[in-house]
Amino acid sequence: MIQRKPYDFMVKYQQQKDWVDGRGNFIAFAFFLGGIAGGLFLASAYFDNLLGIFIAFLLTGLMGASYMLHLTHPMRFWRMVVKPGTSWISRGFTFIMLFGLFTVITMILMQWAPDATTAITTFKVLAGIFAFAQSIYTGFAVSYVSAIKVWNSAIVPILFVTCGLSGGLAILLAIMVGQGSAQIATLENIIRVVLIAFAIIVAVYLWNATYSSTAAKDAVIRLIGGVLAPLFWIGVFLFGIAIPVVISVITYWVHDASSALLITAVVSEIIGGLALRFAVLKAGVYEPLLPSD
Amino acid sequence: MRWGMAIELKRCVGCYECVLACKAEHFLPPEIFWNRVLIGESGKYPNVTKLIYNVRCNQCDDPACVKVCPTGATQQREDGIVWVDEDKCVGCRYCMVACPYQARQMYEDGNAQYFPGQELTEHEKIGKELYPHKPGVVTKCVFCKERIDAGLEAGLTPGVDREATPACVISCPTKAIHFGDLDEPNSDINRVIKEKHGHPFHPEFDTKPSIYYID
Repeated sequence: MIQRKPYDFMVKYQQQKDWVDGRGNFIAFAFFLGGIAGGLFLASAYFDNLLGIFIAFLLTGLMGASYMLHLTHPMRFWRMVVKPGTSWISRGFTFIMLFGLFTVITMILMQWAPDATTAITTFKVLAGIFAFAQSIYTGFAVSYVSAIKVWNSAIVPILFVTCGLSGGLAILLAIMVGQGSAQIATLENIIRVVLIAFAIIVAVYLWNATYSSTAAKDAVIRLIGGVLAPLFWIGVFLFGIAIPVVISVITYWVHDASSALLITAVVSEIIGGLALRFAVLKAGVYEPLLPSD
Repeated sequence: MRWGMAIELKRCVGCYECVLACKAEHFLPPEIFWNRVLIGESGKYPNVTKLIYNVRCNQCDDPACVKVCPTGATQQREDGIVWVDEDKCVGCRYCMVACPYQARQMYEDGNAQYFPGQELTEHEKIGKELYPHKPGVVTKCVFCKERIDAGLEAGLTPGVDREATPACVISCPTKAIHFGDLDEPNSDINRVIKEKHGHPFHPEFDTKPSIYYID
């Protein structure tokens, strides 16, 4: 139960708690898992890595499980497809199911009918479209909430999908390291570009939010210098950006980087991606009922 | 037809009668408030003003909660009343997050009682039969739609006849709350809003609330 003094509603910014406290933690996990699953599928499809596609499918299953844990009436989950016209949760649920369906078909074809290249490409593209949709819809679900100004930004979907792609590429890197793939160098180059893009998008998002409204500015201040600062600076900045970028620079110059160093980058990026979802969700604040004076 | 309210803030004395009437009318469980009275202060001594705001679901004409609900549990009737079908709600809380007025609550503990460890009160026992609330779903003010529907069926006029008017409105000892049809140009509520310059809270949220406040 959220404890607030009645007077707080009138003059203070109210942090949203429904999507971060208690069961709300599971929706943050679901958004994170959906993002990296989509990113991992896209990366794995590009590199034609069946194990990566399979793990993306498993992560999507975990996303669904996390969603179910978030719901108070999970047995009614099937009702969540009835409002795709207006609800992003409903759209997302549809994307997840279609992604799962096309991914299963793709995996079956890749494993047991490798010569059916046209069919494999067709289903891979279809699954790729819904992998992207699954990854980006979580951002739209958040940015659609006009009541929370720091969320109500067109940059949020881009931020979430880039973060998901970054995490997905990192997991594929771990898979390729395990497989001893010859394409690691190519993948590392892509990761460098995505990491730089991710860092820029985070900066632009925060900078833009400070100009959008006082509530969004308050949220940014809480993120970078307030109670959420440890989560942002350690979780998002250190693990999500700084450590992977440093390792990425090292691997650029030292071509035979150790597996331990690469795995450190992978784990760091995954932690950073999770921290980003929690940071954005926790930063959401509502306007007070009355302007404070 | 679109039901609405106008609340005269200067008439409200902060007695919480509307809150209690709402709780009694709907047999609301502990910690669930469809209607709240927020009391605070503004300014610095000696120029201090006491602020009393009676708030509830704004029954928005363009409600964010209806749009985001993935199951269609949150619905809007033709008369504008927004309500939640408890049998369809999955408890995803998207509507709670999307409501800019934070007017929705999750009824979580179905075993919560007013006097824990003791027997249920007669009121609680009657409520569990007459107005059972299902746990794990989102709950909110419904403008006493049951009273409105029964009143209209009996040929009464909501906002005029007590039996057809929301409990919070008829219980107010200072008559600070007006109720009526916003689509009827000559209704009492439209006259009050026009003459006393009623305004919704945060019109910039762009949800077109059906509750107007008069300073």
